[in-house]
Amino acid sequence: MAVPLGAFIAVSAVLFFIGTAGVLVRRNAVVILMSVELMLNATNLALVAFSRRYSSIDERGSVFVVFIFVVAAAEVAVGLAIVLSAYRNKPTVDVDEIRQLKG
Amino acid sequence: MLDFIEPALFAILTIAIVAAGAGVVLANRITTSALLMAFTFLNIAGMFVLLGAETIAMFQVLIYVGAITVLILYGVMFTPQSPRAYGLFFQTQKYWAALFVVPIAIFVALVAFSFRDSATLGAKGGDLLPLATSVFRDFAFPFEVASVLLLAAMVGAIVLVKRDEE
Repeated sequence: MAVPLGAFIAVSAVLFFIGTAGVLVRRNAVVILMSVELMLNATNLALVAFSRRYSSIDERGSVFVVFIFVVAAAEVAVGLAIVLSAYRNKPTVDVDEIRQLKG
Repeated sequence: MLDFIEPALFAILTIAIVAAGAGVVLANRITTSALLMAFTFLNIAGMFVLLGAETIAMFQVLIYVGAITVLILYGVMFTPQSPRAYGLFFQTQKYWAALFVVPIAIFVALVAFSFRDSATLGAKGGDLLPLATSVFRDFAFPFEVASVLLLAAMVGAIVLVKRDEE
């Protein structure tokens, strides 16, 4: 691996920041879900990089990545279901408009 | 002699990841966002290959580029987007959001770019065998719990989306 570990961590951090900005700034619920996926992917990249660098034989970091895949699939399925049912109640996916729970 | 190939590939993948990731957040049409997200996932799979984690790269292509992108595209399809002006693009509390984003950006930049580890890794072989050994021996119980989680998520998604038959 001719590329140092810090470079992978830097790319991961930049991608995580892009995902954070997307979650905080965008108003479309589906785009917010996509930004969460970007953040999860950035985490995966950091975990795999650290695992390749520091774990001796058993690749523990990559095991975390496998579980993150599972949780991400579950999260996007349930998240889209919630978005669709909210859309059915009120035909919008703008998070500024969805405020039925506001007292 | 061919030492420049890995840094060159890394640079290309980095540019693609950052540009496509920024495109996901900034694109005006949501379908563009979804396809750019798939492109970002593909480039991260390339990063995994560069790190020598081929199995994870394969999972990445199967799960993220395949399944999650298709799910997101279905979500886009079922929630029609009205064309709107760019001023209505960001949420109303965008100044508060920026107030939170900027410290996070500074913190992330400090952490990420102060990280110094110039050690180079030797070839460790593929990652399928150590991954399978860990998952199916040391992490067998979390593996089963993850399958229950997937089942619960599947049932929950169906229950949430199902219409009442009355």
